[in-house]
Amino acid sequence: MSKEISFILNGSEVRVAVEGHQRLIDILRGPLGQTGTKEGCGEGECGSCTVIIDGRAVNSCLFPALEAEGKTVITIEGLQETKNELSVIQKSFIEEGAIQCGFCTPGMIMSAKALLDSSPAPSEEEIRDALQGNLCRCTGYVQIIEAVKEAARKLKGKR
Amino acid sequence: MTDFIHIGKKASRPDAPDKAAGKAHYIHDLERPGMLYGKIKFSDHPHARIKHIDTSKAERLTGVRAVITAASTPEIRFGFLRDNLALKKDKVRHYRDEVAAVAAIDPEIAEEAVELIKVEYEPLSGVFSPLEAMEEGCPLIHETDAQGRTRTDNLVPLKFHHQSGDLEAGKQAAKYIAEGEYSTPMVQQCCLGTAGCIAEFDMSSNLTIWAKTQIPFLAQRDFNRALSDMGLPGKNTRVIVPTLGGAFGSGLDTHAYEYIAILLAFETGRPVKIVYTRTEEFANLSPRQSSITKIIQGCDQNGKLTFREVEVLQDNGAYTSWGATYPSVMMMPATSLYRVPHVYFNARLVYTNNTYCQAMRGYGNPEHTWALESNMDELAEEAEIDPFDFRMLNRNHPNETTPMGLKVSTCGLKECLETVARKLDWKKKRKKGKRSGVGMASLIHVGGGGRIYRSDASGLILKLDDFGNANVFHGGVEMGQGLHSVLTLAVAEALGVKPERVIINPTDTGTCPWDVGTHASRGAFMACNAAILAANKLRTKIFELAEEFFPRETEQNLKKFLEQNPGYKPPKFDVKKASRRDRFELRDGFIFIKEGPREPWLQLELGRLLRAVHFRNQGQMLSTEVFYDPPNELPDFEKGLGNISATYAYGTQGAEVEVDTETGEVKILRMVAAHDVGKVLNPMALKGQIYGALAQGVGYALYEELRSQQGKIMNPNFRDYKIPRVQEMNFPVDLEFIETDDSYGPFGAKGVAEPGLVPTAPAIANAIYDAVGVRIRDLPITPEKILAALKNRK
Amino acid sequence: MRRFEYYKPSSLEEAWELKAKIPDSLFIAGGTDVLVSIQNDECRPKALISLRSIPGLAGIEAGDVPRIGALTIIGDILQHPELGRRYPILREAAKSLGSVQIRNVATIGGNLCNASPCADMALPLLVLDAKLRLKTPKETREVPISEFFKGPAETCLSPQEIVTDILLEPPQKNMKTCFMKKGRVKMDLAVASVAVLLEMEGKRCRKARIAAGSVAPTPLRLHKVESVLEDAAISSRTVAKAQQLTEDEIVPITDIRSSEEYRRQITGVLVKRALERALEWSQP
Repeated sequence: MSKEISFILNGSEVRVAVEGHQRLIDILRGPLGQTGTKEGCGEGECGSCTVIIDGRAVNSCLFPALEAEGKTVITIEGLQETKNELSVIQKSFIEEGAIQCGFCTPGMIMSAKALLDSSPAPSEEEIRDALQGNLCRCTGYVQIIEAVKEAARKLKGKR
Repeated sequence: MTDFIHIGKKASRPDAPDKAAGKAHYIHDLERPGMLYGKIKFSDHPHARIKHIDTSKAERLTGVRAVITAASTPEIRFGFLRDNLALKKDKVRHYRDEVAAVAAIDPEIAEEAVELIKVEYEPLSGVFSPLEAMEEGCPLIHETDAQGRTRTDNLVPLKFHHQSGDLEAGKQAAKYIAEGEYSTPMVQQCCLGTAGCIAEFDMSSNLTIWAKTQIPFLAQRDFNRALSDMGLPGKNTRVIVPTLGGAFGSGLDTHAYEYIAILLAFETGRPVKIVYTRTEEFANLSPRQSSITKIIQGCDQNGKLTFREVEVLQDNGAYTSWGATYPSVMMMPATSLYRVPHVYFNARLVYTNNTYCQAMRGYGNPEHTWALESNMDELAEEAEIDPFDFRMLNRNHPNETTPMGLKVSTCGLKECLETVARKLDWKKKRKKGKRSGVGMASLIHVGGGGRIYRSDASGLILKLDDFGNANVFHGGVEMGQGLHSVLTLAVAEALGVKPERVIINPTDTGTCPWDVGTHASRGAFMACNAAILAANKLRTKIFELAEEFFPRETEQNLKKFLEQNPGYKPPKFDVKKASRRDRFELRDGFIFIKEGPREPWLQLELGRLLRAVHFRNQGQMLSTEVFYDPPNELPDFEKGLGNISATYAYGTQGAEVEVDTETGEVKILRMVAAHDVGKVLNPMALKGQIYGALAQGVGYALYEELRSQQGKIMNPNFRDYKIPRVQEMNFPVDLEFIETDDSYGPFGAKGVAEPGLVPTAPAIANAIYDAVGVRIRDLPITPEKILAALKNRK
Repeated sequence: MRRFEYYKPSSLEEAWELKAKIPDSLFIAGGTDVLVSIQNDECRPKALISLRSIPGLAGIEAGDVPRIGALTIIGDILQHPELGRRYPILREAAKSLGSVQIRNVATIGGNLCNASPCADMALPLLVLDAKLRLKTPKETREVPISEFFKGPAETCLSPQEIVTDILLEPPQKNMKTCFMKKGRVKMDLAVASVAVLLEMEGKRCRKARIAAGSVAPTPLRLHKVESVLEDAAISSRTVAKAQQLTEDEIVPITDIRSSEEYRRQITGVLVKRALERALEWSQP
């Protein structure tokens, strides 16, 4: 039994048919064609599937798609600015060497964005807490922390 | 030391923007028209005869396009001992054995179909420890070998042995001896992007496979052989490597799931994608091999090592993959880490009904260095010598040949040891006795390729186009380590163009020249050396051609320049006379005369030269191909002799820890790492490699362990298999790179992809001993083990 | 993911109707436990009945009649300034639960109804003597949380029963509390966890509540430990006795996460340290 739902995805309204057992990640990567959000474990442990729903970072692999009805969802694709420009957070990740294989990167960036949107001047402890749900096997996290700090600095300058 | 323009400077990776945007396409994201989804049915028993497989219900499920078993498909044997079958026939030897497979129109139907397949088994007694497997009368895991000959025991027919000097004399000469048995567990690569592939045949029965592989060309060979087994002799496989979500050695073999995808693709006539779930990745993919190492070392009264005796026992699991050859790498530190005159090394591998193992970063070196460097501290204590002094006394020197025949060229071990001791404040922090302590450990690893196969070569095509772009075709694999980044910088530097003009093409056996594989930390060493050779060839051609074109084109430039700047007076300089091939330079895409005046018109943009050369009668395009084969040798592993690499990377890591004696928990206060890298090619990428490897070393040391009970993996998920998160890496990591400038390395660089995790665990264990006086010899060092050891001490 | 239907009733009545119609169904709140169980094939419900769209089930009242709606998400409990001030132990436990992503979706009711022996939110509620309001179409009852857990993944809930609220006692003066959890690494299910609450009168303890997680079939009140602390002038010797009695009172097992001996020893240490922290003898 499928039901049509609508929600705001990266600033635009989308309508999609959803079945009861489907998770938000299935809808994003499938019919909506947004493959930037990755599935690394399906159990809410690795955070590769992190998206932002109504301002909060959430594991889309554990979010029933039907619950997305009427919500505002942002995925990694939504961070890109106009004219093929990347956002400040994305640029900071690139410039600080925070990206290796890149599989954890979209989820990591979304967790960082959720943090910086609500806490523009986070302490290192707050950054670590915000990224605790995101696993990375390549980087050892050091340059990721530096990238988030750098993004916070740059965004502060912009305000 | 040369001043480089791009090498050694801060440079972000060319592949990073797409990854940051979520636009990089991993196997998980790829789709082919008409694609089906494959799913595998795994065994319900660790050891059993297959009596009957009923696929009828699965075949009837709507949406299923094929169901295959060994009975319905040609036999495909694989693995370097060829003791493994793509689909198991007659017998299963582990829970991960692939018994049947399904292709369906969506993954959920495929999963449902797999559940509808009913298999009847006759369970057999399982064997779960190598010691048990060696006992008389123990059930045989393999009754015959690949050639059908009867087997009489469970020993794997691989010999790894080394004997140098006179072991007895060495023992006699020793005043102090330390003996110990050390073990390491199975740990998993834990790539964030799980294993998978897409197999697709064209209508001429040639195969294309998008694969998560580090060995595209060896895989091509294996898949071509499989095609032959499938009745398609002479047909070709094209292996394409998309963006990978990490590899860490898991791509160094071909896998049953790949052959199964190929069989399903052929059966259905449609592309078939198989991707592992995280549970399948943990339970059914090959992890790092476990090991038990008995080591005895001795030194004389001055602390000089006199002998080293090593026995290694490995649980080979049910089939043979590259984990079986770890001892070939273990003999490197065994014979060549520190100077030891008399060395005995022997390794045995035994089949069991446990999971079988493949390569993982370090490939036997972390396992062996764990034993060796723990034991070094124990020996230092016996001899009452400070562990740092002990290592300095026995350290390797540049330009020495080791008992295995390794020809050490540059060696930064002295600087690495001294750096770590200094940064840890060694003398002050040792033996403080207040539950905190410091420890160190060193490593040797291959840094100039690693010849474990007939060829250790790497080809590269460099193709210039009409726009001044340098197109690179190289068979190395970018798996996140930054290979494409350093290759871009190497081409830019060696050729003389801007990095933005270097285009690295996808790794594809259809277009790239042969490369043995991206392993043994050889990626950058090979690619960049090949790039330098290719670039130099092209520069020679460019400068030859410039003799004719430079004067002509710059004269036109001058005319235009004068029109725009009427008062300009050009310097007195005979351009035509100066236009000699040996007087040109090419930098940032512009050709100019080295000692000539640097006027804006007196230079020629590379693209313009190339177009002029191309668009004329008998025009030409400039490209070149090189095949770089490093000066190393394939060792005889039964004798333990051979200079396996062109150069060797050294390093030392140190840890300062605090132990909570009530809970047994170890808190890492800080870590220090000094690595002999030859030359830093891309500082940000190099740091990333070491931080990442060190984090894996911390996990290895303190909590990573794939738990197996009666063959079953008990923790096949991230909930119960713990890898470091950002909170676990919350201590300062101080990195220092020692540049020994090796003449074999590109721009002086050595390979450093693996060293970062080799000495981490023993450094931590040695620090724990300094802190609370307990020696844990079995990884991981859990709080349980520390508390138990503290209790026993009382 | 296995197929199932997913319903979003907008009232309790609708939810009960669905449950009656589909006996092989589960109520679901945030879903971070249920969906993982389904993924691991530990249960195969035909349908999930989401309680998320039912108004009135979420919300925090920190006033004179403190109440937390069962569908309140952990992240909101963590960030509620009033609640955190009055019941810091709730915030400590909430902070230790999962990650930011999990806390943004998991609910306090879901955590309790999942009834794991290591349920993070159970321990502070046990020492706070919380009550749970349970509703069926026929009746509403209040059950002390100490009677809620029956076994691993087992509660006193009847098939139709839904937890709607967690009711707390107003916070007493001189209430000293602490929650501590040990995992194999920082983000983990508890290897062992404890919550302590002491109502002090000077150096004398008037009321003691001690609870431990992961060391029994359910989150456990340690009555013997409480009795040695109550009406006692708490000294380091009392604390040492409490540690010793903890080791005797708990019934840990060996499982994939840890061993019986280790859990026994470490729970004692946690009780000692939690008491010391609550009494401010040590710093966080």
